[in-house]
Amino acid sequence: MKKLIILLFVLVGTVTSLMAQIPDRPVPPRLVNDFAGLLQKGEVKNMENALEQFARQTSTQIVVVTVPDLEGYAPGDFAQQIGEKWGVGQKGDDNGLVILLKPKTNDSRGEVFVATGYGLEGVLPDAIVNREIVDNEMIPRFKNNDYYGGLATGINVIMDITRGEYTAQQYQEKVSRGGSAGIPFFIILFVLFISLFGRSRRRRFYTGGSSLPFWMAMGMMSGGHRSSGSFGNFSSGGGGFGGFGGGSFGGGGAGGSW
Amino acid sequence: MKRLGIVLIAVVSAFLFSSCGYNKMVELDEQVTSSWAQVENVYQRRADLIPNLVNTVKGYASHEQETLEGVIEARSKATSVNIDLEKLTPETLQQFNQAQDGLSSALSRLMVVVERYPDLKANQNFLDLQAQLEGTENRIAVERRKFNQTTQTYNAYIRKFPRVIYAGWFGFDKKSYFEAQQGAEKAPEVQF
Repeated sequence: MKKLIILLFVLVGTVTSLMAQIPDRPVPPRLVNDFAGLLQKGEVKNMENALEQFARQTSTQIVVVTVPDLEGYAPGDFAQQIGEKWGVGQKGDDNGLVILLKPKTNDSRGEVFVATGYGLEGVLPDAIVNREIVDNEMIPRFKNNDYYGGLATGINVIMDITRGEYTAQQYQEKVSRGGSAGIPFFIILFVLFISLFGRSRRRRFYTGGSSLPFWMAMGMMSGGHRSSGSFGNFSSGGGGFGGFGGGSFGGGGAGGSW
Repeated sequence: MKRLGIVLIAVVSAFLFSSCGYNKMVELDEQVTSSWAQVENVYQRRADLIPNLVNTVKGYASHEQETLEGVIEARSKATSVNIDLEKLTPETLQQFNQAQDGLSSALSRLMVVVERYPDLKANQNFLDLQAQLEGTENRIAVERRKFNQTTQTYNAYIRKFPRVIYAGWFGFDKKSYFEAQQGAEKAPEVQF
């Protein structure tokens, strides 16, 4: 048993050390992450604003990541793992998208990969991503070292295609529906408790002092239910986009090299 | 006496709410089931792409009958191996793996062959199919990894104290993982 536990720790340890090469989620959350330093400050700001606005309007989150090195990962693998680790897109809708760009250097090829979350695979099939976005828009510009131009036109095409798929309003309605589903259950429980405790103990506990632990328990229980899965991570400056929503990626998308 | 009654109610409800991890075990078990369904789903997706791919290639490379037949044969072998998650043992998983690996290698042989046909490689339909196939291979890798992760979470949960004592009573047994493909630790050689 002891050996087993040690083995478990070792296993978990190796898994986390393997994952360590995937960059951590940026704090505060950003949609444009130029780790390779390919874009100018103004360009980053423009792109960030456009993407944040798009995220607020549609709840679809597009993340741009540039890295100097893929650390031995395949581009598609790297992009998928970033999307999954950061939770790009909304939970349940999985409408996130990661654009990963590694620039061409003297001894290695340039790589780009557009990874689609589960929820965008339908509107952005791999073949469309490959042909319309990567081959037609991005790579020709990347070949001329126009990284900003390639990313911007690619993003515009993506926005045009995905705009109708999700809307922020739809998302909000869904969230409020999902949130209220748990309440009736607690109301019933509450009534049950009150009638149980209330009847036998009415005289002594009427002023309510001793019912505090019960309330605390209720608060803890309902709180635990509501907070599952969302990180309530709202960035304050510049409008923001509400933080990453916990979307999931299944390896969809396409990429290319030059 | 009344006080004792309250304590009893509290203890019983504590058990009801905590359920000794039983509900959690059910939840994790369901997660493994659904991630296995996803694994089968993406393999099915690959199998569905193949007839279209073979037909497209046939139009340009009819001399490669042998390679094409190899792909079709491997496909029918792969689709014939279906596993019920209930019967997911290391042996059946290996069987499943072998059949799917057979299809993977037949497909990679086909992809090598098509390099010789520039017309085919310029065909938009073929390029689309190729992108879809690559995407499917990515999805297979991802879903296998997710299956392993959910299985690991499940196994770790049921084998920890105190669940290790009673998990077996309810039929929660250790589940098997996907192992790395034979030779997968070697990166494929690329020649220019």
